[in-house]
Amino acid sequence: MRPGAIAGALLLLVLPLSCAPSHSNRVVVGSKNFTESFILGELIAQQIEQHSNLKVERRFYLAGTYICQQAILSGRIDIYPEYTGTALTAVLKESASGDRKDVYQRVKSEYERRFGLTLGPEFGFNDTFAMEIRGEDARRLGLKTLSEAAAYTPHWHAGFGYEFMERPDGYQGLVATYGLHFAERPRIMDLGLLARALKDRQIDFAGGNATDGLIPALDLFVLADDRHYFPPYEAVPVIGVQLVKSHPELLPVLDALANTISDSEMQQMNYAVDGQHRDPQEVVREFLRKKNPSR
Amino acid sequence: MNVLRFMLHNRGQVLELTLEHLWLVGVSTVFAMLIGIPLGILIAHRQRLNKPVLAAANIIQTIPSLALFGFLLPVPWLGDRSERLAILALTLYALLPIIRNTYTGIAGVDSAVLEAGRGMGLTESQLLFQVELPLAVSVILSGVRIAIVVAVGLATIAAAIGAGGLGEFIFRGLAMVDNRVILAGAIPAAILALVADVGVGWLERRLRAG
Repeated sequence: MRPGAIAGALLLLVLPLSCAPSHSNRVVVGSKNFTESFILGELIAQQIEQHSNLKVERRFYLAGTYICQQAILSGRIDIYPEYTGTALTAVLKESASGDRKDVYQRVKSEYERRFGLTLGPEFGFNDTFAMEIRGEDARRLGLKTLSEAAAYTPHWHAGFGYEFMERPDGYQGLVATYGLHFAERPRIMDLGLLARALKDRQIDFAGGNATDGLIPALDLFVLADDRHYFPPYEAVPVIGVQLVKSHPELLPVLDALANTISDSEMQQMNYAVDGQHRDPQEVVREFLRKKNPSR
Repeated sequence: MNVLRFMLHNRGQVLELTLEHLWLVGVSTVFAMLIGIPLGILIAHRQRLNKPVLAAANIIQTIPSLALFGFLLPVPWLGDRSERLAILALTLYALLPIIRNTYTGIAGVDSAVLEAGRGMGLTESQLLFQVELPLAVSVILSGVRIAIVVAVGLATIAAAIGAGGLGEFIFRGLAMVDNRVILAGAIPAAILALVADVGVGWLERRLRAG
């Protein structure tokens, strides 16, 4: 054996170690690992790219709220889309109550005070949790609300995302509020698979999201939350300390996205990606062009 | 075929993510070798240390990867780039096969051979570089091989903390329920693992022959 040769090879491998641009002229945009979140992340990224010369790095597919929160607190991402209801219950650990405005204001001031994080303006839509059943079942049984469905759930198999099972505004409170019982312990699966599992009759009751594009596409029915268990979940950008300090000029750029997306527009974009398998970048580009025809 | 068309259409991104992946795996494997091989040699020579060191490496191996990535996120001294985190985590995971195989390789050298070397007047470091390491090299490299193949798989999880790599395609495909996107991440990762495996195997044979 020739130790010299090996040492040389090792050196060659280590030499090009990390020479990335410094943080001051790049912006790192994060998102969670489900379709709507990375559409919003892409929207933020393209908006910044269009209105500044900063290099935008995309760090999408982060594994859930905890990772996003840790990543933005430690400055590894500068901005990511969050939901007010999630921020309130999962991050701030406060009880979920109040209307949209109220929840937004509470989250905004608490994020500022506790973490030094800035809450940008709402994107405009409310992606609350949606308890879905098959459209045919809803019509056959004449069901409209969760309270009405409680009589049937003992015969049903349910499926939820893993985060929903644990979070304070999730499964435990839901079944307690409506007195729901299921045929067996709910199945835990990836959010992206729930709607299809429901359609394929693997489950009969799914905890999805209201703006899921597959709801109309697969003829699913959303049971009304008639006891108002879920708080509002308005999508907002969460902005890190670094970005506010080094690029305050971006704040009005992000403000321009305020109230630009309606519930149905978000549902359409989700469907374009989930149902039609279109490239998220393209879908977002199209959306921005539609909102901003001059560009 | 759909997968190939998708990969061809997004070849820039496929290439970029593959390079990121290669970077995560390459750097972490080098670090793991720089730490693991000397440590393996040390515990082969100081038998007292082998239990605690191997136990520690074993325990690291049992921590679920996403949990380890998550725990490391708030660590401030790693700078603000998630890649470093992922590299640290992957290095930790690569340690066990490398330490264990180095230890097994060195400890397996016949003591009669060592005595003969000492009898010829070799110093301890000559003994290490001219007798022990050449005899143990193929066992050590097969440890490196395992470490690389495992790292290629684990590095896909790095995307979950924003460190990039082919996991981005896999997670995106899972969210979109789109097999093409999942495979666009999984196929290059499998190829990387195979190429690395064959490459180190080739190096192993070369070194044994030389």
